[in-house]
Amino acid sequence: MSEKALLFDIQSFSTHDGPGGRTNVFFVGCPLQCRWCANPESWLRKKHLMYAQTVCKYEQGCRACRNVCPYGSITFEESGKPVLDWKICNKCYTFECVEVCPNRSLKQCVKEYTVPELMSTIRKHSFYWDENGGVTFSGGEPLLSHDFLANVLHECQKSGIHTAIETSGYAKEEDFLQVLTEVNFAFIDVKNMDPEAHKWGTGVSNAPILSNIEALTKSSWKGRLVLRQPTIGGFNDSKENALKVIEFMKRLDLYEINLLKFHRLGGTKWEQLGKKYEYSDHGDVSLEELEELQQIYLQNDIACYVAEETPF
Amino acid sequence: MKSNAKKVEDILKARGVEINEDIIEYKIPEAHESFQKLIAIYYGMKVTADMEAPYWFNRIWWENDGDLNQMKRAKAVAGSYAHITPTILPWEKLVMSKTTHMRGAFPFPWVCGSFFNAQAQAFMDEVDAPPLSEADAVSQVGTGGGNVTKSYGEIISIAQKFGVRKEDIPVLVKVSKYWEGIAIEDISKKYGKYLKNYDQYQREMDAVVIMFDSWAIPQGREVMNYYVPLQYGFDKIQELCDEKMQTLMGEAGEDGVLGMSRGYYYACMKEVAKGLSQWAQNYADKARDLASREPDEAFKKNYMEIAKMMDNVAHKAPASFREALQMTYLCHLGVVNEDPQSGQSIGRLGQVLQPFYEKDIADGVCTDEDVIELLELYRIKITAIECFASSGVTGGVLSGNTFNNLGIGGRGHDGLSAATPLEYLIIEAAMRAHTPQPTLSVLYDEKLPDAFLMKAAMCIKLGMGFPAFMNARVSEEFMLRQYGEEGMTVTDARAWMLGGCLENSPGSWSPLEYNGKVTWIPGGAGPTAGTGIHFTGLPKVLELVLTNGVDARTDKMVFPPHNEKIDSFEKLLELWKRYLDISNDIANKVNNIQMDIWRKLTPPTVNSLLKKGCWEKGQTIADCGALYNGTINFESCGTITFINSLAAIKKLVFEEKKYTLEEMKDAMLNNFGFKTAYETGVFSPDFREATEDAPKYAKIFADCINAPKYGNANPEADSLLKWYEDYMAEILPKLRSYYGRPEYMCQISVSTHGPQGFVTLATADGRLAGTTYSDGSVSAAAGTDRNGVYAVFESATVYDHSMEQNSQMNLKIHPSAVKGQTGTRKLLNLIQAYMRKGGFHVQFNIVGSDTLREAQKNIDAHRDLMVRVAGFTQYWCEIGKAIQDEVIYRTEYDEV
Repeated sequence: MSEKALLFDIQSFSTHDGPGGRTNVFFVGCPLQCRWCANPESWLRKKHLMYAQTVCKYEQGCRACRNVCPYGSITFEESGKPVLDWKICNKCYTFECVEVCPNRSLKQCVKEYTVPELMSTIRKHSFYWDENGGVTFSGGEPLLSHDFLANVLHECQKSGIHTAIETSGYAKEEDFLQVLTEVNFAFIDVKNMDPEAHKWGTGVSNAPILSNIEALTKSSWKGRLVLRQPTIGGFNDSKENALKVIEFMKRLDLYEINLLKFHRLGGTKWEQLGKKYEYSDHGDVSLEELEELQQIYLQNDIACYVAEETPF
Repeated sequence: MKSNAKKVEDILKARGVEINEDIIEYKIPEAHESFQKLIAIYYGMKVTADMEAPYWFNRIWWENDGDLNQMKRAKAVAGSYAHITPTILPWEKLVMSKTTHMRGAFPFPWVCGSFFNAQAQAFMDEVDAPPLSEADAVSQVGTGGGNVTKSYGEIISIAQKFGVRKEDIPVLVKVSKYWEGIAIEDISKKYGKYLKNYDQYQREMDAVVIMFDSWAIPQGREVMNYYVPLQYGFDKIQELCDEKMQTLMGEAGEDGVLGMSRGYYYACMKEVAKGLSQWAQNYADKARDLASREPDEAFKKNYMEIAKMMDNVAHKAPASFREALQMTYLCHLGVVNEDPQSGQSIGRLGQVLQPFYEKDIADGVCTDEDVIELLELYRIKITAIECFASSGVTGGVLSGNTFNNLGIGGRGHDGLSAATPLEYLIIEAAMRAHTPQPTLSVLYDEKLPDAFLMKAAMCIKLGMGFPAFMNARVSEEFMLRQYGEEGMTVTDARAWMLGGCLENSPGSWSPLEYNGKVTWIPGGAGPTAGTGIHFTGLPKVLELVLTNGVDARTDKMVFPPHNEKIDSFEKLLELWKRYLDISNDIANKVNNIQMDIWRKLTPPTVNSLLKKGCWEKGQTIADCGALYNGTINFESCGTITFINSLAAIKKLVFEEKKYTLEEMKDAMLNNFGFKTAYETGVFSPDFREATEDAPKYAKIFADCINAPKYGNANPEADSLLKWYEDYMAEILPKLRSYYGRPEYMCQISVSTHGPQGFVTLATADGRLAGTTYSDGSVSAAAGTDRNGVYAVFESATVYDHSMEQNSQMNLKIHPSAVKGQTGTRKLLNLIQAYMRKGGFHVQFNIVGSDTLREAQKNIDAHRDLMVRVAGFTQYWCEIGKAIQDEVIYRTEYDEV
């Protein structure tokens, strides 16, 4: 029980990540580096800084963060806009600037939790779930914290709490099965069936992911598995890819997939982290295109859900 | 995409997966053609005031000079209605409006005339209008929609909202002359001044520590009771009055003070019935006249139907759903035309009219679609009800809304679910025909059918801000707490309904005989659940403690200096209590006098026919005729701003001792080194423009912002809320109302968090000078709830909500979070969880801030956009800018 995990958020009333209204626990750290990632703040597996320019009040004359950084990371443009030296900030662990920012524009977005601390919050939240609700472990990649997670899952089982996971599926099979066989509901991303394309988009091969899914289906696990595909224009929105996914699903007798619509809501977070967001102007997929893909799945007797229109 | 949904369902079924909800949402049909035609007319209509009704009221009043006040009042009110020129628009199926104009209202110079008389007289004399009162000056009226905020052409703008034709102004001036020095405001002031410390009241009003006088809106925040007219009809009521007079006139019974009044009561009610009947008859005659000149067969037929309906309504008890609905609307107008009014609740109309609906459907007289159409048209009728009052009241308090609340659900006379089939259609009509009024309130009980609740949740998702959910059990407990001493039973406790937005109001059951059976219908049984102490700005009182009683904004003394050294947090609380006591004591006395003078000089008359108890006892509302009279309250404003300010001072000054109280005060006086909202013109708590002094206050400002905040399940802040609520529940019942009953706390801010925020300096929670207070009473201050909605619920329920009349929780959820039928279910589950936890009220704005920002820039393109402000929904374009800013800034859940 002494393990600790780094979380970047615990979200109330999460409505798209499993049945019912849920609590969503976001872990940090991810073995994938998807080019379109909506939660890039989860990549770094340490406490780190974010700078939200949209809520920064420099235009209204705020200079609260001047002369605060002991490492001299913050300088100012002529307009008054603070400029962060991310090479320094990414190594920071003292966050003096966060203390003085009145706008929550500079914030330290990761917090450390012990299992009892996390369980205490989950138990408080449990009052507000409906009978289908529960907790979803998400990220980042929750499997990176598999030991911690296994303990949390154990505690949840003791209290009869419904658990779900959102995972890339990219992990050692042993770690993967240790966690997955203990959850009630799993979303696993299948981002692209082509290994090369997968590597280009996410930085890693899809081979371990696909073999983990297969191992899960062959285990005695009785939970519900829904594959997920964040659908990115020009990357995985082709009919060919859909047919390959169908072939894979048929082989394993899987029958549920959720096609997510690409959105740019995480775009500003890239900037907040001092990174460039390459999907700022492409990658869109229309609802109609998603519904065309849905048709292909349905014709193959696979229950395919588009965006938030899920039956749970 | 219905076929896709079906296919998904088949696949899952074949796999043995249970499906909880249909995947595809109900597709809402369009509103009926008649609604669309009439709402288009409504959108083009300006808010008007005219002198027809006041002219006749004034004339009849003086013609009866020397008679009993209640008789003068009955004759003048009823007689003025009988003289209102009827207007019937094509496509109408329900008729009547407050005045001859669709969005009409009129002044009541016998109640209060100062705010418009000076303006009208200035116009006559061709000089500039005199300055506004303090509350009026700091209140904003929305500039779009039907509001006439500036004079143009032949139209004079009065109270920044009403257009009056130039030729009516001399009539206004002349009628007002009769009331110079003898209107309710004048006489009550005269008696108020007998109090040695009356100046204290005036100082608080000028500082806007409290917000307005009781005579500004003496009626409303109460619930209509349509039983008597629905049961008897106006001819029979007159007969019954004759009979009653024969037995009671000249008989005191056991009551030496009021016993004799019973005879006069029935004499007055006969006049009232006569006037209401004539008003209806005029519409019947008008419809026949229009029909005789109408070439179009369909319109002609429609006019003839109206004529027949109004003939019956004028004389008989209603014999169909349509007649019954029209009858209730007539009575509603009859009451709201009696005084400047807001918050006159329709009550649980779907339960009251269920017997009529049931019979018509069984007899095949009409279909559900016909009923829905009538209910759609009813929505326009209620939306068009305007209140003539000063800009401080219409803009600063009401945001132009009149809060005609319609309740659905709750528990019945038998203790079981009271939801009726007709109530489903009421929700359906609201979903098709989008208008801000009547707002719908679900009186939530675990016994209500799931399908009913799901339908209500579906309606919430349309973004109109209603239905709001109110907790029936919590309310029933409050009812018994407050009205137990007047003999309220558990059964009557269940007849409650909101009077106005959120003011729990006592009710009772009446046995309606119709269709060969008796149905117990609920209805109002108490006078106004308001008119006590109006909107005490809690943070402003705290500010005055720190400034030793002097208002730093105006440099005027408000409270006597306490001259004490504040060396502990307990001392601070003690001084705050002391100032609040001073305020409550004088404000309560003055408001009691105002309302007593009002009831003595102009006792409510139509309303005294429509309130359980009056008809049975033979007494008007003025003479405690209503069944339950302990309805008068203390209204608070800025609860969470106050709590967060206390939390910051407690932590930073007294616990951590990071700053002295002087340093804190200095920061507040200097607005933490930012420009004030007065300088920038932006009232959103989110906007901060630095001055040269900003660096000096940067540290204390950041610490104040980062101090513990309510709404995060943080006991440091939440325990202060519990302390406050417990304290108020303890002290307020010690105040007695003009009905001689204990008072209690009402926690609705309506829109007063705008103007009261306007007059308040920066607060220790980091809120800047002039910006709005937190909205509601248990909503988190915008942007300060960082742990999600469950944490807000945890914080809100740290005390027992049934101790007070209400609490108010506004939430803003992005539409994407509750998409689809499963989203509806999740939304409902969230509401139910809060209700189970003991929350009294919750309501939602399901609209993106992006949409609202765009609408603020381009108001004309969003004529039909609505938002929830406090316990009411209003057109975006008719809300003042400060409140618009505040609504935009509220925390949006599921915003990534």
